[in-house]
Amino acid sequence: MKTSNRRNLALLGVVALMLASVLLFLYLKSSSNQTTTYTESRDLIGRIKQLNAQWETEILKARVAISHNYDPLVTPLTEITNLWERFDTMESNHGRNDSPIWRASHEAYLTAIQEKTRLVEQFKSHNAVLRNSLAFLPTAEDDIQEQLSRLVDEDQLQLQNIATDTYDLLLSSLEFAQVTSDDKAADILVGLNKLGVNKQRLPEQFHRTIDIMSNHIALILREQPVVNRLLENIEAVPVAERLDDITNLLNTDQQRTDAIDQRYHFYMLVFSVLLVLLLVYLAIHLMRSFTVINRVNKALQTANEDLELRVEERTRELKDTQSELLDTARQAGMAEIATNVLHNVGNVLNSVNISADLVTRKLRASKAQGLGKAMQLINEHPGDLGTFLTEDPKGKLLPGYLNQLVDAIALEQQGMTDELSQLTKSVDHIKDIVATQQSYAGANSLMEPLHISELLEDALRMNSGALTRHHVTVVKEYSDVPRVMGDKHRLLLILINLISNAKYAMSDLSNRPRQMTLGVKIVEDKTLQVSVKDDGEGIAEENMTRIFAHGFTTRKEGHGFGLHSCALAAIEMNGHLTAHSDGPGKGALFTLQIPLKTVPEEA
Amino acid sequence: MSPSFPRLLLALLFGLCLSAGAAPLNEALKPLPAVPQQNPLQVELGRQLFNEPRLSVDSSLSCASCHRLENGGADNKAFSIGFAGLPLTINTPSVFNASLNFRQFWNGRADTLETQIHGVVQSPSEMGSNWEHVVQMLSADPAYRTSFANAYPDGVTMNNVQNALATYERTLISANSRFDQYLQGDTDILTLDEKYGYQRFKDYGCIACHQGVNIGGNMFQKFGVMGDYFKTRGNPTEADLGRYLVTKDEEDRNVFKVPSLRNVAVTAPYFHDGSAKTLEEAVDVMFKFQLGRIPSADDKTLIIKFLKTLTGEWGGKPL
Repeated sequence: MKTSNRRNLALLGVVALMLASVLLFLYLKSSSNQTTTYTESRDLIGRIKQLNAQWETEILKARVAISHNYDPLVTPLTEITNLWERFDTMESNHGRNDSPIWRASHEAYLTAIQEKTRLVEQFKSHNAVLRNSLAFLPTAEDDIQEQLSRLVDEDQLQLQNIATDTYDLLLSSLEFAQVTSDDKAADILVGLNKLGVNKQRLPEQFHRTIDIMSNHIALILREQPVVNRLLENIEAVPVAERLDDITNLLNTDQQRTDAIDQRYHFYMLVFSVLLVLLLVYLAIHLMRSFTVINRVNKALQTANEDLELRVEERTRELKDTQSELLDTARQAGMAEIATNVLHNVGNVLNSVNISADLVTRKLRASKAQGLGKAMQLINEHPGDLGTFLTEDPKGKLLPGYLNQLVDAIALEQQGMTDELSQLTKSVDHIKDIVATQQSYAGANSLMEPLHISELLEDALRMNSGALTRHHVTVVKEYSDVPRVMGDKHRLLLILINLISNAKYAMSDLSNRPRQMTLGVKIVEDKTLQVSVKDDGEGIAEENMTRIFAHGFTTRKEGHGFGLHSCALAAIEMNGHLTAHSDGPGKGALFTLQIPLKTVPEEA
Repeated sequence: MSPSFPRLLLALLFGLCLSAGAAPLNEALKPLPAVPQQNPLQVELGRQLFNEPRLSVDSSLSCASCHRLENGGADNKAFSIGFAGLPLTINTPSVFNASLNFRQFWNGRADTLETQIHGVVQSPSEMGSNWEHVVQMLSADPAYRTSFANAYPDGVTMNNVQNALATYERTLISANSRFDQYLQGDTDILTLDEKYGYQRFKDYGCIACHQGVNIGGNMFQKFGVMGDYFKTRGNPTEADLGRYLVTKDEEDRNVFKVPSLRNVAVTAPYFHDGSAKTLEEAVDVMFKFQLGRIPSADDKTLIIKFLKTLTGEWGGKPL
């Protein structure tokens, strides 16, 4: 999803880039200098046309002027040539000259302008001499007339005719200059002939002036049609048309360019729109992405909050569970303690049982029955009691027997009293255990001043039966320990258990005397240390770690509570219980360490 | 009629006279224009090239060999001597004001000064060189290389040599002739005779061809309008064919460019064939074959006096 998105974005970017480059390309294409070239070209052609028209105007002016400056007939051509060079350079730079139509139109123009130039040059030459002769003609005629008027000795009528003929010739010539026609030409020819004839009639001095005039008239006759023809031809030279052709070509070209430009513009528009759309799309995409990011952020935040809530909930649940667990543990502990208590009670009951058994056995085997038999003997001899006591062999033994009986019963009584007091103590212990259980149920430890050695003695005593049975020698290594504040029941619980365990650990021991060492000492003035050491079966390395675990036992009939509850109890007293063994068969050492709280000695 | 009217008229006339005194005259002849603005580096380079004999194949002739500026821009021979020592077939026209001619050469075969230079350098009778040689030779000269590099971005090329020379020639304007001053409004500069001469010049129709800014040089004309000059002169040569050599048009037989009359008094001999040794001769020929008229001796003198006012200055001195 993410990769495809990224790919999409990359694709869009590439597309955008392509669009942009296409736009750039189109821009470059459409903004080529075609249009400016076109405008400039058209302008140049327009100016050439204008100059051409100006040129023609100057030509027409030259036609009527008498003395004329022909420079204006030169300058337009020079300018036209310059402009055309510029146009041609521009066009060839533009690559238009490659087109055959262009070349053809250019050739056509050049041909036309060359032809026109040629004709104009001829016109200039012919027109100059024609104008000169025409201008001179009245003077030439005047010269003749003046000469004629100076002739006095000739035939006046003939002179008059000659003068009229000459004048007519002048008029015809001038008319011919205005209206060049064959009739006029014929008139002039007739006039020239007349002049020629008249020349023969006139004296020698006339010949020069008449020759000059007829020469000039002949020139007019010759040149006027030439000039007219040249003018017609000049007019006919299609320079303007050729220029129009070029303009048309330019226009067509420009139209095509415009069309192309328009197309490019259209493309540009299309591509711009596409680009804009793309950008809009990208923008939307971006916005959407942004929204998505926002949403995801929000969701994340919500999830986070949710998570926090859930964590809180879980924590609460966990706390609840923990407290439940604690409760359960407490209950379990209680049950455990109950078990312990029962166990301990069981232990003590054992002693009670033993004591009761002993008392029962003693009672059953009591020497008091012997007293009954003695009384029976006495009762058989009611009258002769004295005789009997002194005479009868049986009777003679009776008092001694009775004395012995008294001692035996006294002994018996003593033993039973002892046993009963033991029993009472055991019952007291049971009471204590129960009380402990009750106090534990209240989760309170009852700190009371006590002598640890007395506590040890109590514990030994509670196990005394078993210890005696198992022939265990107890070695006591008690340091001088002051009275301390302690939880009697927990301490007792621990000690009974440890002693009991030690005793059990040595139950299989047969090859050497069974010896248990109890130790009490104070470590570093702040810890009370009680140790129970046996030289029994020891603890296997692998069991060391499990030895205090609930339910762990190595004994067949064991419950696995003892050491566990002892360890718990030690911890509850802010102390700890540790075990040490050098290995199986090498005995074990259990050490209880609790903080030392001495009881201040009463003064 | 109000009494003030004559006075008013008088004032008007006086004003007219004043304005006429200062304003340029509107004549068919035009004063010389100012020298056009040119790149001074190119002008100086052109000047050097103009005096550079290495333009000819054997380094014997420069432009200035025939176009002597101190000699009216031409030499005083009917035919200048080419690089090979042989005379040319046509008279050397003045280089002064040549840029104002509408074409170059007698037969107008060159449209521009550059083309004219191109022709002369390669002409087998004039300089006999070729452009490859010229460019190579000029490139070998460090001084020229520097000058060209300064004046033109592309250094020594045929076009640049021609352009430099043409640029220089465009500065060769023989300004400030007395007649020009007259045209510019200083009517007192001419003597009465000279003014009459100018009047005759116009009346006889010289002005029909010799007009414009260069007093000629703006049209072609047949030599021998009113008579066959060449028959009269004899010894027709190829050069006599004139423009025909260029166009091969029968119309153009014996047609030549009308030469400028500027500095005419100092550029003898005259005509394409150098046949007229003096102005008088030249004016005579013109009257006879071009105008078809016979001037009075006085008129001819007046015209010649006028023609002498057309001599301009070069380098601050009259030519």
